[in-house]
Amino acid sequence: MSTQFFLTILLMALATYLTRIGGYLLLRKHQPSPRVAAILDAAPGCVLISVIAPHFASGHVADLAALGITALAASRLSMLPTVLIGVASAAALRGLL
Amino acid sequence: MEPENVIGHPVEVGARNPALRSEFRRGVLASTPVMLGFVPFALVLGAQASRKGFAPVEVPLMTGLNFGGGSEFAVVQLWSSPPHMLLIMAVTFLINSRHLLMGAALTPYLKDLPRRKALLALFFMCDESWAMGLANAKRRAALGIPAFSLPYYMGASLGLYFTWVCFTFLGALLGPVMGNLESYGLDMAFPAVFLVLLKGMWSGPRAARPWLVSLVAGVIACLLLPGAWYVVVGSAAGALSACIWGMKK
Repeated sequence: MSTQFFLTILLMALATYLTRIGGYLLLRKHQPSPRVAAILDAAPGCVLISVIAPHFASGHVADLAALGITALAASRLSMLPTVLIGVASAAALRGLL
Repeated sequence: MEPENVIGHPVEVGARNPALRSEFRRGVLASTPVMLGFVPFALVLGAQASRKGFAPVEVPLMTGLNFGGGSEFAVVQLWSSPPHMLLIMAVTFLINSRHLLMGAALTPYLKDLPRRKALLALFFMCDESWAMGLANAKRRAALGIPAFSLPYYMGASLGLYFTWVCFTFLGALLGPVMGNLESYGLDMAFPAVFLVLLKGMWSGPRAARPWLVSLVAGVIACLLLPGAWYVVVGSAAGALSACIWGMKK
């Protein structure tokens, strides 16, 4: 295991632990300002959608159609069926288009 | 789901030791359905990490030290050799930043707990154990008994923790046997997981406007910039828009 790997994982663990205790340590005495609360509310979703942005940027019709089907499934179904539908539609559409 | 019956069983808050044990067990039992739900995702995460060059032992090291599923999926997706340390730390922090608010919501119930115990308990806080611990505390507060039940919360948390760590390890061991995931469309599993996580955070189209900003900015950055800058650009644009919209309220 490389030092770099270990250091990265350690920094990652530190970042996560800070978010877990941060609310307890900092916001115990004060309420967050509406602006901070608004950012904290939106941030996880913004990051998640940014991470999957490349899937939206691929110009492939089959991939974009599969992504649309997956998004529709996600809006109605739970995790497992959504993943299955996403995978199946990607495999099928890539074969067809 | 669980445990209306605590109301009918004052025994559980009576005699000290058996009460502790049964509270712990009640926590484990309450989180069992969620544990089962963790299994397929833990396997997929482990398999994907092994494909990105993680050695099998490195996977439970990450999931055991970090224990935040969404951030781990993102990090595996972004992983390169050598990894971009600061990018990974920043993405992890931002994805898990909801824990800041979750911890804050739990704080009034943690006041009677020694700080050392609270800090240890918070290490194991995930979305699901937080929700269960908070719901249980509210129920107990309504009954007028000490609100936060540490053994209940730890039962729920530790069950989920060990399920996650063990099955990501198993996924890492099985990963190489599973072959090329993309040829079966399995790369679509990631956006699918993320879209379901987003649905779970959904609280109306108004609140989701920053997400749209992130998506547009992220896609543009993808097309124009090299590497993983799209994560930074998309997240920053979304957070900035949330800040501006938050000020207007």
